[in-house]
Amino acid sequence: MITCKSISKSYTKGTNIVTPLENLDLEVGRGEFLALMGPSGSGKTTLLNLISGIDSPSSGSLIIDGENIASFSRKQLTAWRARKVGYIFQLYHLIPVLTAFENVELPLLITSMSKAERRQKAEEALEIVGLQDRSHHTPSELSGGQEQRVAIARALVADPALLVADEPTGDLDRESATMILELLQKLSRERGKTIVMVTHDARAAAAADRTLHLEKGKLLENEPHL
Amino acid sequence: MLPLSYALRNLFRDKSRLLQTVGGSALVVMLVMAAAALNGGMKQVLAASGSSRNAILLGAGSEESIQRSEVSAQLSGIAEATIRGVSKVMGRPAATAEIHYMSALHTADGEKGQALFRGVTPSALLVHPEVRLIDGTFPQAGEVMVGKLAWRKLGIAEDALMIGKKVLLDKSEMTISGVFAAPGTVMESEIWAVIGDLRMLAQRETVSCVVLRMDHPKYFSDAELFAQQRLDLELTAMRESDYYAALGDFYKPIRIMTWLTAGLVAAGAIFGGFNTLYAAFASRIRELATLQAIGFGRFAIFFSLMQESLVACLAGTLLASALALWLLDGMTIPFSIGAFTIGITPGVAVIGLVTGILLGILGSIPPAIRCLMPALPKALRS
Repeated sequence: MITCKSISKSYTKGTNIVTPLENLDLEVGRGEFLALMGPSGSGKTTLLNLISGIDSPSSGSLIIDGENIASFSRKQLTAWRARKVGYIFQLYHLIPVLTAFENVELPLLITSMSKAERRQKAEEALEIVGLQDRSHHTPSELSGGQEQRVAIARALVADPALLVADEPTGDLDRESATMILELLQKLSRERGKTIVMVTHDARAAAAADRTLHLEKGKLLENEPHL
Repeated sequence: MLPLSYALRNLFRDKSRLLQTVGGSALVVMLVMAAAALNGGMKQVLAASGSSRNAILLGAGSEESIQRSEVSAQLSGIAEATIRGVSKVMGRPAATAEIHYMSALHTADGEKGQALFRGVTPSALLVHPEVRLIDGTFPQAGEVMVGKLAWRKLGIAEDALMIGKKVLLDKSEMTISGVFAAPGTVMESEIWAVIGDLRMLAQRETVSCVVLRMDHPKYFSDAELFAQQRLDLELTAMRESDYYAALGDFYKPIRIMTWLTAGLVAAGAIFGGFNTLYAAFASRIRELATLQAIGFGRFAIFFSLMQESLVACLAGTLLASALALWLLDGMTIPFSIGAFTIGITPGVAVIGLVTGILLGILGSIPPAIRCLMPALPKALRS
């Protein structure tokens, strides 16, 4: 599903060139749930941004679902993200003026689906995360765990093959975090979603099929979970 | 595309910012409407004051001001007998000698103002058919008739110029015999007296000009030929419409100043509006980045931001239009040779609407670009 070959990412900060990722190789199988761990500044969010098409590598190839997105323009990446990726943020990033239903429906507005189809898909996604009864609530009327579940519903509503999650449990209490991790496991196992999750939490990483550790932009070890 | 409801709901996220945007755009639109109405009103009154059928014979070299002109008191008789194409109404030639005289007028209540007097003969009503006596009688010796808007031009109370009231012209007391209307022309702000009275008051043997109403504008060439042939009378002939058009050019700097003032105040309000919109958009940089991460293109997001700005500016335009209709429509503005009425015409309303739309569209571009430019990873962390 994901093949990174010698990907590097550099950018200029002031007069210095910073390289958060250097010559990194990575393979992630279809339907795999991968956790990325590492200290702050290790490059894990940079890698996640590259895999999700939010950023482009400075060099190397990044093949996702058969497409080398490393050479995509910003416009091509935007269209690609809409089709292929669902992004789950640590702070949910829901649109505060829209209801849970409208937030979930957002990615479908880019497609050519009819209103009825969009309604059906959004309701299904809310049902998967167990929030169909909260569909008319705005984010301010939901708990943190519920907001993150709405964000997950939004990420999967367009049925992308790849879900990326940046510290999805970082802002949640233990109970809500467990619920979110179980949901991600379910999505990977039952619906075949490939999931790449960045986390600082070893307990969260344990929910994944495999954990990779990053340090100073390089992969340290491969740690499959039994 | 993002739904319109997203733009509409965003408007109400910060009510004070919404109020600033609506108020700012209302101020700009109202200023532009006021400037357009003011210029339109002045242009219209000057254009309507002169008829292309009327030929003015005035002293050579006095083309810019009839008040400075002097021609023989006998010119009217000579001209109407000589020039072909002068209109006749019930056998009477439509020709009148006139004295245009600017002087202070004192009312019985002690109010004072600078008035434009026109000394005329009864034939003036044939030459200026737009003048209609709406109350009282045409003045006799010792009397004046006042234009309906003369009080506004003088800056005095309307009832100070009622029929029967006395006014002092220099040191001569005169009685108001009538009130006349001449809709949309500067004459409506004038005070008319018998030419003999004005000749005495102005202490002159001559008159300012002779105005002839021709059967058709084409007969103006006959009046022109007459002025060229009678070198002894030192005349020049002008179409009345050309005279007022030239006066319009004289007031051009004032009109430019009006636009400039409106433009300067509007520029200040526009920059204020940019700041308010920028603050509104900048507070949502992460949200805008999230929309991009989901897959919305920058143009779709920009279009939504523009809708937001456009709706706020159109609300401002609506407010400005209502205020303009309430406060400005029908307002009479005095200027040196008369007064004109401001009208919030459909044309002015369209100018206001276009201004509001442009404000909404152009005003959203710089702040939207600034908020959509940052790299996505950076914006998502903001």
